[in-house]
Amino acid sequence: MRRYLAARLFQAVGVVVFVTTFSFVLIHLAPGDPVAGALRGPNVSETVREQWRATYGLDRPLPEQYARWLLSTARGELGYSFSLHRPVRDVFLDALPNTLLLSGTALLLSFGLGMAVGVLQAERPRGARDRWMGRTLLVFFSVPDFWFALVILILFAYRLPWFPAGGLKDSFGYDYLPPLAKVRDRLWHLALPVFTLTVLTAANAARQQRAALIAVLPSDWMRTALAKGLSWRAAVRKHAFRNALLPTITLLGISVPQFAAGSIFVEKVFTWPGVGLLTVNAIGARDYPLVTSGVLVASIIVVCAALVADIAVAIADPRIRLS
Amino acid sequence: MPQLLPLTFRRPARIASLFLACAVFSACKDKKGPDTVAVPPAPGGTIVIATSTDASTMLPPLVSGIVDRQVTDLLYDRLADIGQNLNTVGDKDFTAQLAERWEWATDSLSIVFFINPHAMWHDGQPVRASDVRFSVKLMKDPSLGSPATALLVNVDSVSVRDSVTAVAWFKRHTPEQFYDLVYQVPILPEHILSNTPVAQLKTAEVGRRGIGSGRFRLDKWEPGQRIVLVSDNFNYRGRAKIDRVIFAISPDFNAASTRFFAGDADLFENLRVEQLPEIAKDTGKKTQRLPSLSYNYLAMNMIDPKNPGQPHPIFGDRAVRRALTMAVDRRAMLKNVFDTIGQLAYGPFPHSMTVADTTLPQIPYDTAKARALLDSAGWVAGPDGIRSKLGRRLAFSITTPSSSAARHSYAILLQEAFRKVGADVKLDESDFAGYLTRLTSHTFDTEMANFSTDPSVSGFQQSWSTRFIGKDGQNHYSYSNPRVDAMLDSATVAFDPARSKLYARHAFEAIMDDAPGIWLYEPPTIAGVHKRIRMVKLRADAYFSGLADWWIPSNERIQRDVIGVGPTP
Repeated sequence: MRRYLAARLFQAVGVVVFVTTFSFVLIHLAPGDPVAGALRGPNVSETVREQWRATYGLDRPLPEQYARWLLSTARGELGYSFSLHRPVRDVFLDALPNTLLLSGTALLLSFGLGMAVGVLQAERPRGARDRWMGRTLLVFFSVPDFWFALVILILFAYRLPWFPAGGLKDSFGYDYLPPLAKVRDRLWHLALPVFTLTVLTAANAARQQRAALIAVLPSDWMRTALAKGLSWRAAVRKHAFRNALLPTITLLGISVPQFAAGSIFVEKVFTWPGVGLLTVNAIGARDYPLVTSGVLVASIIVVCAALVADIAVAIADPRIRLS
Repeated sequence: MPQLLPLTFRRPARIASLFLACAVFSACKDKKGPDTVAVPPAPGGTIVIATSTDASTMLPPLVSGIVDRQVTDLLYDRLADIGQNLNTVGDKDFTAQLAERWEWATDSLSIVFFINPHAMWHDGQPVRASDVRFSVKLMKDPSLGSPATALLVNVDSVSVRDSVTAVAWFKRHTPEQFYDLVYQVPILPEHILSNTPVAQLKTAEVGRRGIGSGRFRLDKWEPGQRIVLVSDNFNYRGRAKIDRVIFAISPDFNAASTRFFAGDADLFENLRVEQLPEIAKDTGKKTQRLPSLSYNYLAMNMIDPKNPGQPHPIFGDRAVRRALTMAVDRRAMLKNVFDTIGQLAYGPFPHSMTVADTTLPQIPYDTAKARALLDSAGWVAGPDGIRSKLGRRLAFSITTPSSSAARHSYAILLQEAFRKVGADVKLDESDFAGYLTRLTSHTFDTEMANFSTDPSVSGFQQSWSTRFIGKDGQNHYSYSNPRVDAMLDSATVAFDPARSKLYARHAFEAIMDDAPGIWLYEPPTIAGVHKRIRMVKLRADAYFSGLADWWIPSNERIQRDVIGVGPTP
């Protein structure tokens, strides 16, 4: 187990270094630079832009810029954001908790809901409940996330103004709320983005769970469980469910990075200041340090999620040995 | 500062009693109805502005975006403020801000500014003449890299006579020397900024504090979420008539506009034409056209992007430029893109400029003449309908940023208009950073240009004078006409505004005759505004400059106008 973990960690470091290096080169090859984006006023002369480039070391050769970035990252300094005029580390320290809150809540809810729906469908395969649930899930599985988020926003924040139109908290009244009301206000603002992400992702989880359950239902041990007097529902929930968990756990591991990427649209529509939105905006502004650090954070999340998923699969199925 | 009360938000009983108290209070204070109120009532209220961009700095010399400018203009005062008519000549129309008065030297090469002794920084320190000296020195320091440095070439230095008397020295006596100093230099606190090396101010935390002397002070800046300004109650120019201004940041246009329509914000400044019917249906909202100094045109590159130094093979010929201009039905395009809210650009100037002249002759829309002109210029139509001359096809691209929906629509309409006279046009769209790179490296044929000029006539020199061709100039199209250069030079040195306008007229006439661009539209800035807000002093260069004098009648105030803000001293 230890050797396996050490090898995986070694691989993970390699993946992270490769991905960040690749993104560093790629963003520098894109037309434009951060200074041109930051100083777009009509009176800004090229001399001023060149002076800014020199200040930030953007006039240095690419390998030198990369070496400087690598050294500063190793020291825990992620550089300075040109577009936000703040240290990148501070920017991420602000954004990361927001992403974890949104994605984490949505991930738990969507897989909880997805697995429950999958079980309900698999209890009566091809029955009426299975069919209408399947069709509904297919609709949610197919709709584009950006469009769906906008529909939810317009419906529940504008036409039926039950929820706020965006943001983490109330723009004007939050500071004057008592602690409990502050929590309520946060949850109220969290509701629409979490609902959107949950609905979109639960569909996929449910389809996976249903398929996995249906695959194990004809097993000998299911027949034995039924022969021993268990009801069909109890046999599905107690025996088939655990045996059908492996694909869902794998999907969960894959979904963590997908959540980071997929939630970009939801973050954008609901003005949720998370890491995904930050990185996308940074690409538009050619904010090199922010983009590279965003990729660094995302790649660390990806390799960690993959590692955790592998370990979880081994725990769920004793037949699998990590080696 | 407004006194913040620990109110419980969304508790109906308390809110109701608060409203009742406010209603009784306003009924006593404000006997006239809201429509008949001649003067603003007791100060108060909150304005939430939905915006799709965050500020990047609170240090005026480094501002680059519109939100930077809006916020810093509210936080920092200047020595004097430009008048509503944007007259930049002399000092006649300027009003006192930090300088309560000023005196010109007999040779006009220096001006003595007497600082208002009551002026204080938001941290309680007095504003001193040395702050003026520091501000000018800082903005002129090349290591700061201020975009405005080039605009201060005529300002030599500032000396300090005593703690409230600063003397500004100029290199030459010019019509706009007063404007050059007071408009371009917001006064900064030396005691806050001088401890940081100038070269480090770009990244220093001190640049985010926003300690100024304006009628609003910075309360909070939560990046990506909101910027909260509150009224500076003891300001030497008097308390603002609004308690709070909140910039609510949404990173997406749709999200920002939904925030406004959902009632979470009071002002959204960039409504699209398709959103206007929604406003008309909403009894609580109104539209307000905001004046601006922007104009859009199709700019033609005079030099060959593939052979710099050589004239452009198509646009180097004046006859071709004029023919392409004749091929464009500008009025129909305006209607197509902006419906009824658009304003046609007349020439290389916005209508709101004092030097604008809408009696100048324009090149008419006439496709038959356009074809004839192209024929006579040697561009002959081939079997596919596309013209060519000496083996070169009449083919070029329109460079446009993908972020602008209006410019994108115009580019498509222009493509079709040019096709009708035998030109093969391709669209070259990229994100803003890519677009800007094409522009500054001159690697484009034509581009959908948007230019926001400053109130000075010298702003036109930056776009159209020969000496502004090159890496430090804004004449990205390499347009050059000695007559235009001479006339714009004369316009900027004329002390008589009427003569300045006359010279500018001659310059504009020559530019329009040369047709280096097709004048398309002035981007309509239609704001959606909550009806309770009374907007005054909307200046074309900065509609928000008078925000401290906007007001909300006491009997129209809503929940967010009163929450957290107590009675003012």
